[in-house]
Amino acid sequence: MNEVIGIIIAAILCWLNFVIVDTYFGLPEQPGVRGARNIGQDVERRGGDIAGGFFQGNILCSPDASAGTLLASIGYLLLGIPGGIIAAFFVFMGNRLCADPGYAGTCGSLTATVIIFVCSFIGMTPEMFIVGMVIAILTIMGIDQAKASIVLGKIAKKFNRHARE
Amino acid sequence: MFDLVDSTLFFAAYGNVFGLGNISISSFDILLAYIVAIAVAVVVALALKIPLLPSKPYRYSYDVSAIYPTPIIAIGVLSIFLVLNYTFMYNGLVLAAIIGILSALFVKYLFDFVFPKPLNEDNGEGIDE
Repeated sequence: MNEVIGIIIAAILCWLNFVIVDTYFGLPEQPGVRGARNIGQDVERRGGDIAGGFFQGNILCSPDASAGTLLASIGYLLLGIPGGIIAAFFVFMGNRLCADPGYAGTCGSLTATVIIFVCSFIGMTPEMFIVGMVIAILTIMGIDQAKASIVLGKIAKKFNRHARE
Repeated sequence: MFDLVDSTLFFAAYGNVFGLGNISISSFDILLAYIVAIAVAVVVALALKIPLLPSKPYRYSYDVSAIYPTPIIAIGVLSIFLVLNYTFMYNGLVLAAIIGILSALFVKYLFDFVFPKPLNEDNGEGIDE
């Protein structure tokens, strides 16, 4: 498959994977780790959404499904499917070290491993997923935090996981 | 000179087109070993009276249960053995069973000692305080 097309498809798949898994396991509802509250309130003060701010603070302060997807891609590149599972195991230990009580990181890396395995049949390689995941995190954290938090807040409302409800 | 990183990655990923290049047992045996590890871990965890499902809402994973994190630990450790190409005997089935039993024992008796709960146990922070 053409690399550019593959990277675009991989970025979309990674974005959907980590946003859906993180939202389902309740990242926008409350700050699970220290520091996520400050980021959420700061994003709200700049005109964003508090649920999206908590989401961004949580994925910044501890390994959640975003880091899980990235590490699963790297593990799959190096060691194949067992590498993705080892990445899930290490993300679990990272969650414990960060005192993060969530389930999102481990489940996110396992679903990412499944997605990369399925997509390998249409010729997509793990390298495309690494680049795609970096692009996906850039759209959430890097370009415009306030506008991204509004989008994340709308998704959280659809999943019935919004903070103010 | 800068080909070092590229060639290292290429060497590590060499032959991993189907994701299982490093392992000498067949892919069916690998799948069977994973299933055995998960099943043994869950069954032994239930026999040790660990609850099957975590407490609702699914947001506080320090309460251990039989489906999380016991099989995660089991398949993670089994993967490390597989990529090192150490499959003990009967195509890795005995190794999978031993790892399942040990991970269930770990979750039951050692988990709170190795990964102690954080000091404030108030389930994260509330929004209106």
